[in-house]
Amino acid sequence: MGLINSQNAPMIEAFPGGPAFLTTIDTVINWARSNSLWPLTFGTSCCAIEVMMAAGAANHDLARFGAEVARASPRQADLLVLAGTIVKRMGPTLQTLYAQMAEPKYVIATGACAISGGPFIYQSYSTVRGAHELIPVDVIVPGCPPRPEAFFYGLLTLQKMIREGESIRRPGERRKPVLAALPPGITIDQIRQELILNLEEKSVTKPLNEHAKMENLTWKI
Amino acid sequence: MEITGMTAATMSNTEVPVSSLDERIKFFQNEPQSALATQEYFVNMGPQHPSTHGVLRLVLKMDGETVREIIPVLGYVHRGMEKKAEYIGYRQQVHLTDRLDYLCALMNNWVMADAVERAMKIELNDRILTLRTIFAELQRIQSHQLWWGVFGMDLGAFTPFLYGFRDREKITAIFEDTMGARLTMNYIQPGGLMYDIHPEFPRKVKDFLKYFKPILNEYDELFTGNVIVHQRLKGIGILDGKTAISVGASGPVLRASGVSYDLRKSDPYGVYSKTQFEVPVGTTGDCWDRYIVRMQEMRESIRIVEQLIDNIPEGPTMVMKFGAKIRIPEGIYYNQMETARGILGVMLVADGTEKPYRLHFRTPNFNNLWSVISMAKGLRLADLVAILSSVDIVVPDIDR
Repeated sequence: MGLINSQNAPMIEAFPGGPAFLTTIDTVINWARSNSLWPLTFGTSCCAIEVMMAAGAANHDLARFGAEVARASPRQADLLVLAGTIVKRMGPTLQTLYAQMAEPKYVIATGACAISGGPFIYQSYSTVRGAHELIPVDVIVPGCPPRPEAFFYGLLTLQKMIREGESIRRPGERRKPVLAALPPGITIDQIRQELILNLEEKSVTKPLNEHAKMENLTWKI
Repeated sequence: MEITGMTAATMSNTEVPVSSLDERIKFFQNEPQSALATQEYFVNMGPQHPSTHGVLRLVLKMDGETVREIIPVLGYVHRGMEKKAEYIGYRQQVHLTDRLDYLCALMNNWVMADAVERAMKIELNDRILTLRTIFAELQRIQSHQLWWGVFGMDLGAFTPFLYGFRDREKITAIFEDTMGARLTMNYIQPGGLMYDIHPEFPRKVKDFLKYFKPILNEYDELFTGNVIVHQRLKGIGILDGKTAISVGASGPVLRASGVSYDLRKSDPYGVYSKTQFEVPVGTTGDCWDRYIVRMQEMRESIRIVEQLIDNIPEGPTMVMKFGAKIRIPEGIYYNQMETARGILGVMLVADGTEKPYRLHFRTPNFNNLWSVISMAKGLRLADLVAILSSVDIVVPDIDR
C-alpha cells in the first residue's frame, strides 16, 4: 500500500469518490495490521511468565489472535508488551527499544508495576511510577500478574483500537477508547496532587536517631 | 575471499600441522597475518536478550567465538525490596517474597512465614505442616516443568516449551482452586494458611500424579535421549564441588557437582523428616548432570507428595490469627529453606516495633550466577546460553 500515503491522501480526497476510496483502503490496512501484531520478547519480571509464556504456550494459545510470532529483535516487532517492573536503570534501555521498533508500533502495559509502580509505588527509590512516564502506552491490562485471558482482552482492545481509530489521513494519531470515568467532582489534577503528597510522605529516609539503639542486638537463632 | 593468511603461513616455511582441525585452527590463530588471527572484543549480552531469562546483562570479553571473561552487570530490575520491607509490617512481608523468585512463590512465602513463627515461638499443627510440604513439592515440580520447557527452547527446540507448559497448567489449576491465584499466591501466612484447601484438592493432586508419571518418561523419550542434546550438554560447563561451595552455589547446581547438601535432609523442616526420599547427586558437574538432577528431583517430589496426600491430618489451618500488627521481640533472626533453585535465607533484624529494622534476603540465584563465570570461561558463546539455562536463573531474585 505504498502508493497511497499521508502525502497524497489530501489529493485523492479532492476527487469525487475519493473519501470513500480512502476509507476502504483504511479498512484493509487496519484489518491487516490488527491481525498480525508481532510482539517483542521483552519481559522484566513476574508478568512475563503469565503474559508472554503461559499465554503463548499450548493451553492458551496466543496464535488464535495472530500475535504468536515473538521476535527477539525490536526491528522486527511492532508490539511491545511491558511485562513487569520498570526501574530507573532500565528506563534508557526501554526508550531505545521503543525507538528501534518498526512503525506503526503499539504498547500494552500489563500488571500493576508497569501501570503505576504497583506494590513498589511507595517507599521505593528505584521504581518508575508507570511506564507511561517513559514511552506512550496504548492499552493497560491490570492485575498482579494478569491472567492470560485478561491479556487477551487487552490484545482484543488494541486490535479494536487499530481497526477503528487509525486512518491514513492522520498517521500516528490514535483514538483511544474510554475505559473508565472519574467520579463526579474529582479531576485528574486532584488525584495527581494527592499522589505527590503521598510520595513525599512515604519516602525512604529514616531519622538518624533510629539507628543508634540497634547497636547492642544479639543473634537469637 | 581472504586467502592471504594461508599463503603467508605457507610461505614462511613453518610446518602446518595436519593432525587435527583444532591444532590447525590454533596454528593459524597464532600467525599474526593469518585470516584466522583473532582480536579480543567486548559484547553486551542483554539487558534485552531472550536467553538471559529477563533483564540480566553480561559483558563478555570475546576472542573470536570463545568467551574469555564474563562480567555480570546487575540492577536492571532492582526494585528496592529490602528497603521497602523496612516500612511494612511482618504480615505484609509475605507478599514481597512472592515477587522475589516468582516460580517458587509458595516456598518463598513459607520461608518468610516460618521466620516470623520461629521468632514468635509459635507451634504449628501437623495439618499445616503437611499441607505446606505438599504445596512446596508441587511447586518444585511446577518450577522444574517450566525450566525443562525453557531449557529446550534455549537449546533451539521449541517443542519442549509446549509440552512443559501443557503440564504446568495442570498444577496451576490445582493451585488456583485453593488459592485463587495462578502465579503469586501469597497463601502461606505467619500462623498457618490463608484458607483451607479446596474439598477436591486431594483427588485432583492424585489425578495429576497419575497423569504426570508416564509424562516424565515421555519427556525422556523426547529430549533426554536426543543425540544433539547429549552433544550440547555433556562435558560443557564443568563446575567442581570446591568452586561451587566457594561461590555459595546451592540447590541443583551444587548437588550436580557432587556435593550432597539438601536442607530437606540435613536440616529437616515441615514434615520432610517423616517422608522417604533421595537426594539426586551428579558426578562431574556439567550441564548434563544439572539436567539429570532436576529430572530426578521431579520424580522424588512426586514420591513425597504421594506419601503425604493420602493422610492429611485433620485440624485448623490457622493456629494463631494475627491482626495487622505483629510485634517480634528484639534480636536478629535467620531462617533458611530449600527452594527449587537453592537455599533462600531470610535475615530479620527486629527492634521490637511492628516493622523490621532490616530485612535481608539471601537468594539462591545471586550466588548461582557467580558459578556461571567459572563455568563458561574458554567455551563458545552458544555454550554460555546452555550453561545459563542449566543454572536456571531468575533475574528478579538476583536484583531484588
